[in-house]
Amino acid sequence: MTQVTIGAFYNPHLGKELAQADGIDHLAMADPPATADPWWPAIRERYTLLLHDYLGQLSEPLDERSIQRARGLAELYRTPWVAEHFQCLHTEDGRYNLNYVFPPLYTEEFLDRFVRNANALKGRLDQPLVMENIPGFFDVKASQMLEPVWLRRFFEATGVGFLLDLPHVWLEAHYHDISPRRWLVEFPLDHVVELHVAGVEHDRDLDGPWIAPAEPSDEMLDFAAYAVTRCPRARAVTFDAFSPSLTAEVLLRSVERIRGAL
Amino acid sequence: MTGGRTDRALQDDVIRALSDARYRASAEWRRRALADPDRVERYARFLARHFYYERAVHFFKYSRALARVTGRRPEAALTSSAFDALLPTLVLGSRETAAAVARIVVAYLGAGPAVVPYLPDLLRYEEAMMVVEAGSRVWRDGGNGDDGRGRGVAPRTVEGTVLLELAYDLPAVLPKLLQPWMDVPPAPERPIKLLVARSPHGRVAVARSDESVAAVIELADGKRTLQDLATDARLDLPTLEATVKNLVELGAVRFSTGS
Repeated sequence: MTQVTIGAFYNPHLGKELAQADGIDHLAMADPPATADPWWPAIRERYTLLLHDYLGQLSEPLDERSIQRARGLAELYRTPWVAEHFQCLHTEDGRYNLNYVFPPLYTEEFLDRFVRNANALKGRLDQPLVMENIPGFFDVKASQMLEPVWLRRFFEATGVGFLLDLPHVWLEAHYHDISPRRWLVEFPLDHVVELHVAGVEHDRDLDGPWIAPAEPSDEMLDFAAYAVTRCPRARAVTFDAFSPSLTAEVLLRSVERIRGAL
Repeated sequence: MTGGRTDRALQDDVIRALSDARYRASAEWRRRALADPDRVERYARFLARHFYYERAVHFFKYSRALARVTGRRPEAALTSSAFDALLPTLVLGSRETAAAVARIVVAYLGAGPAVVPYLPDLLRYEEAMMVVEAGSRVWRDGGNGDDGRGRGVAPRTVEGTVLLELAYDLPAVLPKLLQPWMDVPPAPERPIKLLVARSPHGRVAVARSDESVAAVIELADGKRTLQDLATDARLDLPTLEATVKNLVELGAVRFSTGS
């Protein structure tokens, strides 16, 4: 396995702390920098930046405006790869929008759509494309195959890299009452380029755990250490927390603990 | 294809069920039995709180910056019983729901100590931003070069565009609220009009308004031509054309393209 870098997300309200922090190798960018962000020049100068914005949902082809936006951000960040999600979160007519990552049906039709549109996007980028798995809180009966099978077929058909979000795998295992490690090994880990690690907390509406801007538990860190050994092409591990309620202490300690666990 | 419908249409049905509480409760949705109803309900409520958390934090960011002196953060309103009471009728992203949620946030923030003289104006401004942002949007351009502005001859004020009349000059103070401060930055007490509008892609813009802008917003009904508008608004044609051009850029006015 190649050496992995350890990083976090750029949270603009923590710009001062991140501009001066030690022990962070890279920062993922969920939003473009604000014009008035005083810390952005130092952040850009200092860090390897990973493009991790919302570019569009690949159930449909990205339009030219979205492609040019993606290209512009990739150039601004000098990103080594461009990330998107396996998501389908708004209706085709634009009337309904969940504003939160939501997985597609795992069917042949959606596989064909994502393969076609990812290949088209890949052809317009100057950097490799990586795609992140998205958790389902419930199963939709129309799906025709398990998520790991669908993902493997996608990666084999496109040559795109895999951004493996470990808490997403952990949550799916939790809600299906199976072991996270047993569920993890079903995924196409040989395609993984980057991993996400995060904390989970009890959510009142879900009456169960979900992603939160919190430190990863010891169990999650053990899971991450195990996962990294199974991902021979992994190059980066990122603490996945992006929220105005995230504190500098939680971010810095989480990165330090991830580094210690790996 | 599943059961005669495309999988994309089925996905849209799931998205609609998660977005629209009344549809989720309908016999039409329940008959499909696509997913465990209890889990769908719980996830929909989680999504609703997340959806409006993001908007409360974003559109009420100036009030949030004042939390040091008011003791109130906008997102706290989303754990209130008033927000919970909206859940059975809520439609994510609709203008009606945005208005209802914004009212709850404003009521919560406005009930704090009256230590900021321009807070009522600020809350009206932030409420308008949140409501104007709501509604259907263009997610993908059609590829025909039409950016949604149309090519007709009769401009029409876009539904949801708002003209605000305020007692304090808020644009003079808003950037200062987001910078470090010891004492609450004062706002000049002078009446202003602001136009709040949204582009077809969902970008909310604010601009200072004047009499010509107000006249165009009031009169542009999709039937009056530019010449008609110039006559009715008592503006010369070049001034009217420049005003309309700016309003189109902001998303406040579109040209009707006919049926």
